[in-house]
Amino acid sequence: MLNLIRNEWLKLWSKKATWVMLVITALLMIGLGGIFKWIQSQTDQVDDWKQSSQAQITSLEEQLAIPNLSDDELKSFEDALLIEKYRLDHNIAPISSESVKGFINEIPGILSIITLFTVVVAAGIVASEFSQGTIKMLLTRPVKRWKILTSKLITVGIFAIVMSAVLLLFGVITGYIFFDQIPGRSLEVVNGNVVDVSFWGRLLLLIGLSLINVFVIGTLAFMIGSVFRSSSLAIGISIFLMFMGVNIVLILSRFEFVKYILFANTNLTQYIGNNQPMIEGLTMPFSIAVISVYVLVFLVISYWSFIRRDVAA
Amino acid sequence: MDTKPIVKLQNITKVIGKKKIIDDLSLDLFAGQITGFLGPNGAGKTTTIRMMTGLMRPTSGEVFIDGQAISTNFEESMSKVGVIVENPEMYKFMSGYKNLLHFARMNKNVTKDRIDEVIAQVGLQNRIHEKVSTYSLGMRQRLGLAQALLHRPKFLILDEPTNGLDPAGIREFRMYLRKIATEEGVSIFVSSHLLAEIELMCDRIAVIQNGKLISIKEVNGEQESYYYAEVSPKEQAHAFFESKDMKVENFEKGFVIPLETEAVPALITEMVTSNLQIFSFSLHKKTLEDQFLEMTGGGQIAESHKK
Repeated sequence: MLNLIRNEWLKLWSKKATWVMLVITALLMIGLGGIFKWIQSQTDQVDDWKQSSQAQITSLEEQLAIPNLSDDELKSFEDALLIEKYRLDHNIAPISSESVKGFINEIPGILSIITLFTVVVAAGIVASEFSQGTIKMLLTRPVKRWKILTSKLITVGIFAIVMSAVLLLFGVITGYIFFDQIPGRSLEVVNGNVVDVSFWGRLLLLIGLSLINVFVIGTLAFMIGSVFRSSSLAIGISIFLMFMGVNIVLILSRFEFVKYILFANTNLTQYIGNNQPMIEGLTMPFSIAVISVYVLVFLVISYWSFIRRDVAA
Repeated sequence: MDTKPIVKLQNITKVIGKKKIIDDLSLDLFAGQITGFLGPNGAGKTTTIRMMTGLMRPTSGEVFIDGQAISTNFEESMSKVGVIVENPEMYKFMSGYKNLLHFARMNKNVTKDRIDEVIAQVGLQNRIHEKVSTYSLGMRQRLGLAQALLHRPKFLILDEPTNGLDPAGIREFRMYLRKIATEEGVSIFVSSHLLAEIELMCDRIAVIQNGKLISIKEVNGEQESYYYAEVSPKEQAHAFFESKDMKVENFEKGFVIPLETEAVPALITEMVTSNLQIFSFSLHKKTLEDQFLEMTGGGQIAESHKK
């Protein structure tokens, strides 16, 4: 199996396109750093966090006065209020967007670019063997088909992790080059108490949860690629769903069944910190269960199709 | 010769949609023997080969390689098979050497020395580290052969192997196949449209039509011999042959006569005494092409079927 994964990995990096994706990832982080810095230099307002914190408190109190708030909304507003008051009482500045940490905090959000690249790789890793005709060579070796498919799936996973690491690495480097070290901390409410958030711990957690999203969409692309044996179809459908999925969920949000749609659940970062979930009543364990079922179905279809079907072309 | 077949196709049937592509086909292939596989377009050659290589599953029946069934012991049986299915498609973005390394990793016990040995055997030493996309068709064929031989297979399947090779390459290729068949006892199965090629290369020929095996024959085995004779006057000659109960065929300006070599002088003497004028009398070699067309009944393509 290790040899098979090595094969897939070497094939992947023998393609120019893979290196292009890597370079784009690195350049993107550096570029974004530059753009953020430039925008900040254009708007030279002196940012006093105490003032904005005070304004935030006023606005939150107004919102809390609105009758008939849902449980999720109520909790989210109350927690935010607690945090702002705690900041003022203990003189703890939030993380400034002009600081190193501020920029690094953007990284989990930018990770969706990795989804894009992972979709391209996942869609092509099976389909390209068919379009090149090399599938005939691959499947006439003394290796069972499920092993070959598994090696490809693992390779896609490693690719997503490596690309995320590159993104993180260049993000951190860019942060330290372009931005200043300004003291600031994130806070959150746990069991009614305001506590400190570990910066790096939280960052890695968010990246990890975003990676789950990458894996889910990647598995979808992998399935379409191995069922239809066409990478363009797989890339098209996956990217369409990746961008439209959330909108579809929002359009259908008044129905109960929307909870069971994959894309209502893929963003696990919505449960971290004092956010309210996209659809009322969703919880992390529920989302993980829904995601697991979908991924299992995708994998069963991929394996079934790859192992059972004749290679005719 | 070893009587135990290396490859055994047992009552293979393949149905695609409603059409029976392969109908109850059984065939044994033996060590050291090169078997040619002939058939008109659409007869089921490619489907048969795909089933022998595990790319397709037979609807019923079983393929055995060295006693192991492909469907249940895929890895064990395929480790004895080397395959070139149609054009050897390699990873064009990698060098020939990396391609070989790639396939070597999918087999057990293929050393770097073995890779170098195979490269030397197919004569690719000078270009092996260049990308496959720069190779000519002939060079790709050589690389395909190298790939098929890496793990010292007991059985080699080749689909249209000489496609794209130059005449010297074809000759070399033929010699090479003959060599590994006799020296290493490899059983070789070659499908081709080039009848002359098959005739030169093979010990044995299997002919398939409409999914059925219609003939298996030894190339150098006992063959009926034919003689060509130009005789005048024709009508009188006809009557002469008829009186002797010989089935002759009209061919060009004369006749083709089925005849044992020993009987030739006697026949000629008789013809002369019967006042027939003989202008030419020579051994008539029926080519494989003639035999093939005779067996398959001309060039019509088998009934169309949905793929």
